[in-house]
Amino acid sequence: MTERKSPTAVLHEGPRALSREQVREIEESDLKGVLGIDIDDVIEYVHKDLKSLPDFTTLYRKYLKQRWDVYDLDFTQDRIDWNEKMTEDERQSFMAIASGFHHGERQVEIELPVFMIGASEEEKIHIAAQIEDEARHTVFFDRFYREVVGLQGDDIMDILDASFPWVSETFVGPFGLLAYQADEVRRSPYDERARVRYGTNYFLWIEGVLALSVMKVTLSYARWRGFLPAYYTGFTATCRDESRHVQGGMRYLQHAVRRDPTMIKEIHDTLRTILYLSGVTSRRIYFEPLGWTEDEIRMLFFQQLRRKLNDVGIDLAPDLEDLIQQVQPVLAGG
Amino acid sequence: MAEPKFFSEQWASAVRDALAAGPSAEARSGKLQEYWDFFELIKGMYPASWALGCRNPPAALGEGPAYLYLKWGGGTVTDGQIIRPDDPPPPTHLPIPPSLSPFTATYVLGMDYADWKALHEGYDAQRTVMYRKIMLEDGDLLEFFKTIYFFVECLAIVAAVPADYPALATRRRSNGPGPSS
Repeated sequence: MTERKSPTAVLHEGPRALSREQVREIEESDLKGVLGIDIDDVIEYVHKDLKSLPDFTTLYRKYLKQRWDVYDLDFTQDRIDWNEKMTEDERQSFMAIASGFHHGERQVEIELPVFMIGASEEEKIHIAAQIEDEARHTVFFDRFYREVVGLQGDDIMDILDASFPWVSETFVGPFGLLAYQADEVRRSPYDERARVRYGTNYFLWIEGVLALSVMKVTLSYARWRGFLPAYYTGFTATCRDESRHVQGGMRYLQHAVRRDPTMIKEIHDTLRTILYLSGVTSRRIYFEPLGWTEDEIRMLFFQQLRRKLNDVGIDLAPDLEDLIQQVQPVLAGG
Repeated sequence: MAEPKFFSEQWASAVRDALAAGPSAEARSGKLQEYWDFFELIKGMYPASWALGCRNPPAALGEGPAYLYLKWGGGTVTDGQIIRPDDPPPPTHLPIPPSLSPFTATYVLGMDYADWKALHEGYDAQRTVMYRKIMLEDGDLLEFFKTIYFFVECLAIVAAVPADYPALATRRRSNGPGPSS
């Protein structure tokens, strides 16, 4: 963690070109090596294969190589940084963002299994791996909140209860919708239209836009300040996991639209609901202690959404373009 | 004065008044004005109706599932009553029957009695939705979610209305041989 560039520098750089060596470093680093990887490179790596999406078997093979042990992380230095080096403003901003992830990871873990039922056999294997990833990410946040923040509880739900006061009221928009969409898929697991609506919310919006944008805020802060090394390591490894999830999800959506072009309506209808909800915020979160402004985070959202849509070849209806201009940051991801 | 029984007509009437009055000052104080502006915008033009079901009320509240039917219009609740369908619910949308039933509502939702009670006792309305304690049983999901913040705040108001919630029969732990419940 030697580089100390501003957290928002990447907004003004534009898309990066990753060298073969950088790609190899991202793909093959073990958990210790992840600490030295730039989060902006990992986010760029997510997009690297979006135009020629890898198949599900390739993604599964990557999973087997990139899987990491959440119990290998040592949060000792993080606890010192949290208690002795970070300011109260920094801690409050950090909690507001991390809590959305704490609950978001739990939600995407438990809502994913039903999507497996109607999937191809190869995709089922990929989804099974993704469920294990999401469970590990949930444990990662559970450990962070216990060992760094100092929340106490007997089980995972106790810690979720303790961090919930930091979760914004607008969290129920995308994540409540996902819960209900999962129930829709549970009732009709082979209904391709229901699956595309579910996939649009889960893979495109929650993972592709919310998660990647908001991950970057806390990770670039940690890298910039040189704080929270175990958090940086575990959450950057989480971002690398997300690259497989987003690529798999975009592959599913792209193929669904190619098989039946009328599926684009399901994507648009789902985005219409999500974007309508995303124009509202319930709390004023101060991002400045972490090196960001609200406008910069909004710009990050736009960049993430545009890149996914462009790379996968999905055009937006004019009314959706208007709704995008009103989006407010939702501090969550999964 | 005794509190009305949960899912009684007196309770439904109190719910109707509470929804017309809107969120308490305490509830409003914790969230941004722009959030409440959105709430009021939706409330002012909301044209839909809800049938909020209690799937398994205790015997003290009557047999079988019951629904709190709430119809919105002109920025207020224009109808609020308890419906106890005699027939089992149809599996899908059917032509609207001439008499009022839960299935004439735009959105039919259901929740177990224990979760209604927990919500009344302070469990969070947002998590009640997110953890699928209350589920959409009938209605257009994407349209319903466009106004989900309005729904969640209203659900909290409904649950906060004072009422007598009968205790649930407690399960005995089996500590050895013998019947367990």
